[in-house]
Amino acid sequence: MWGFYFNELIRSLPFFLKGVWMTVAVAGLSLIFGTIIGFIAGIIRAGRNKPARIIIGAWVDLIRGTPFLVQIFVIFFILPGIGIELDAFPAAVIALTNLTASFITEIVAGGILAVPKGQREAATASGLSHYQQLRFIVLPQAIRSILPPLVGQYVLLVKDSSVVSAIGVVDITRVGWLTVQRIPEGLMVFGLVGLLYFAICYPLINLSGFLERRMTVVSTKL
Amino acid sequence: MISFKNVNKWYGELHVLNSIDLEVEKGEVIVVCGPSGSGKSTLIRCINRLEPIQKGELIVDGMKVHDKKTNMTKIRAEIGFIFQSFNLYPHMTALGNVTIAPMKVRNIPKKEAEKLGREKLTRVGLEDRIDHYPAQLSGGQQQRVAIARGLSMQPKIMLFDEPTSALDPEMIHEVLDVMRDLAKEGMTMMAVTHEMGFAREVASRVVFMDEGQIIEVAPPNDFFTKPQSERGKAFLKSILTH
Amino acid sequence: MLEGFNFRIILEYMPLYMQCFLATLWLSGLSLFGAVVVGIIACAMRLSQSRILRGIAGVYIESIRSTPLLAQLYFFYFGLPSMGIMLPEWVTGVIALTLNSGAYYAEIIRSGIKAIDFGQIEAGIASGLSYFQRMRYIILPQALGNTIRPMLGQAIILVKDSSLLSLISIMELTRAGQVLTSERFTPAEGFLTTAAFYLIIYYMLKAFSGWSEKRLIFREAH
Repeated sequence: MWGFYFNELIRSLPFFLKGVWMTVAVAGLSLIFGTIIGFIAGIIRAGRNKPARIIIGAWVDLIRGTPFLVQIFVIFFILPGIGIELDAFPAAVIALTNLTASFITEIVAGGILAVPKGQREAATASGLSHYQQLRFIVLPQAIRSILPPLVGQYVLLVKDSSVVSAIGVVDITRVGWLTVQRIPEGLMVFGLVGLLYFAICYPLINLSGFLERRMTVVSTKL
Repeated sequence: MISFKNVNKWYGELHVLNSIDLEVEKGEVIVVCGPSGSGKSTLIRCINRLEPIQKGELIVDGMKVHDKKTNMTKIRAEIGFIFQSFNLYPHMTALGNVTIAPMKVRNIPKKEAEKLGREKLTRVGLEDRIDHYPAQLSGGQQQRVAIARGLSMQPKIMLFDEPTSALDPEMIHEVLDVMRDLAKEGMTMMAVTHEMGFAREVASRVVFMDEGQIIEVAPPNDFFTKPQSERGKAFLKSILTH
Repeated sequence: MLEGFNFRIILEYMPLYMQCFLATLWLSGLSLFGAVVVGIIACAMRLSQSRILRGIAGVYIESIRSTPLLAQLYFFYFGLPSMGIMLPEWVTGVIALTLNSGAYYAEIIRSGIKAIDFGQIEAGIASGLSYFQRMRYIILPQALGNTIRPMLGQAIILVKDSSLLSLISIMELTRAGQVLTSERFTPAEGFLTTAAFYLIIYYMLKAFSGWSEKRLIFREAH
């Protein structure tokens, strides 16, 4: 019996690979948009405009205080009510982008605020504008403390992307769920699912750790 | 009490202890001194196997420390070790620090351990700090708690690894006073220290080390006034003229 | 849609929400307790002298960290029955949550332990305390005290993760939202109410984190 199921599983591999492609697509798009939005919001969050900081802070809190599954349901089921009809895939990308952006906002803001105040004071004293300070002095230094947690966030993004299977997006998890209806060997099917995610996430986790060590060494050399 | 026979230790390629032979009798007070990197801290850290040795014999209170099979718990219970950076447990009060080992290693019941602890803390002059946390104590007070912690196990030997090096000058004497009293009461002690006044007053012998070897062993007066070795002379000159 | 926000329906379903709110608290609480225990054990294994124990703990932690919780949940939900082990859904859910957060707790505790000054451990060795005694009286109390904030952070994550249990038909907060939505076709009322409840838990935990940091503030000597 087990042998039979194993063969069936092998024959389902193309389906799993489609799932991998879908996971990569959803996560990848969300990564790009989320990073862009997150950086912009993060810079504002670390800036001088108090009302803007508070609004962004409230948005971040909202996203961090509620489960991602609920957020997806809100976007997928409620937006049509105000006239935005969405397919599962775009809804998933929007929800995941939203989630990622909020976390990246905090990472970026934290990195910027970690740059010693004296740096900005020196830059102001030499006449650099706020934008110039940001571009030439603050951000280059902030990047060092932003990069490792940023990559860590990308790992979380891939894992969180599994939740979009709940609205029918055919990613790795959904493929697993559909397959296990035909091949009732949960251990094998989801063992494969796990392996596929592992193949994506494990290298990223190591990259994050590697970056963390690299970044610390560079700053002590200064 | 403590016997080093041809003890050798390496850190990789570095020969940190080179053919050490030393006998310490009960009741003796040995001061170990020498330039930094001479191996003096390593020497006393080997006695309770905080550092292992690779060659030779090290026998403490009749037990073979060099033998990997020896159960170190029994030996360590008889040795009080005082660190340069105190190493008090920050999440326990002075009394907590002093009673944890007697309760858990010697299995003394709590009431008795606390009585013993209070006694030792009073002995080092801290009876009004018994319920304070380390963060609330000065450096000198912390080191005295550390000494009380060592004494609460009622050890046969007390080892000191540069006990006053991390203290502000005005606090050094309060720690040395306690150490001096201990010496006068006949405790077997080995101390790595630069405090020459202390050495002159209570040491039975001074051990001068350099580059992992014992260069000279002599009673303090002899060593300080008439050092026999060239390196001993150079060392004394360097510490007396700064 | 917003004009027609129907509070009456929410009131009507309030008993269900309250019941599910308690279910979420109970499921999360139980899993949290289990996760801390598992975390301590896994961490002790990870730091032990035995290569075998280190290996087992390492495999466990890396597998959890590199795979999504949903995949892990499905692994147990579909896998255990295929091994002949039939468990009520909520037990499967608690097992998945416990093992998942347990791995993260192991890492949190490990970093808390690493932050402890090695000198104290030497002092413990020098006074004759055994490995277990040092762990119990010196290392673990400080590690847990050092890491209150990340521990509570993971607790918040665990509560949000419990929303996934709705996907294996467990009646908790998210499922309450699904039920209201499917019975009355009001996704806004359904999921926004759910979100509100989660936010209550989130802010309560945040407040507790702030309070406990002040109370148990970790006193470092010097």
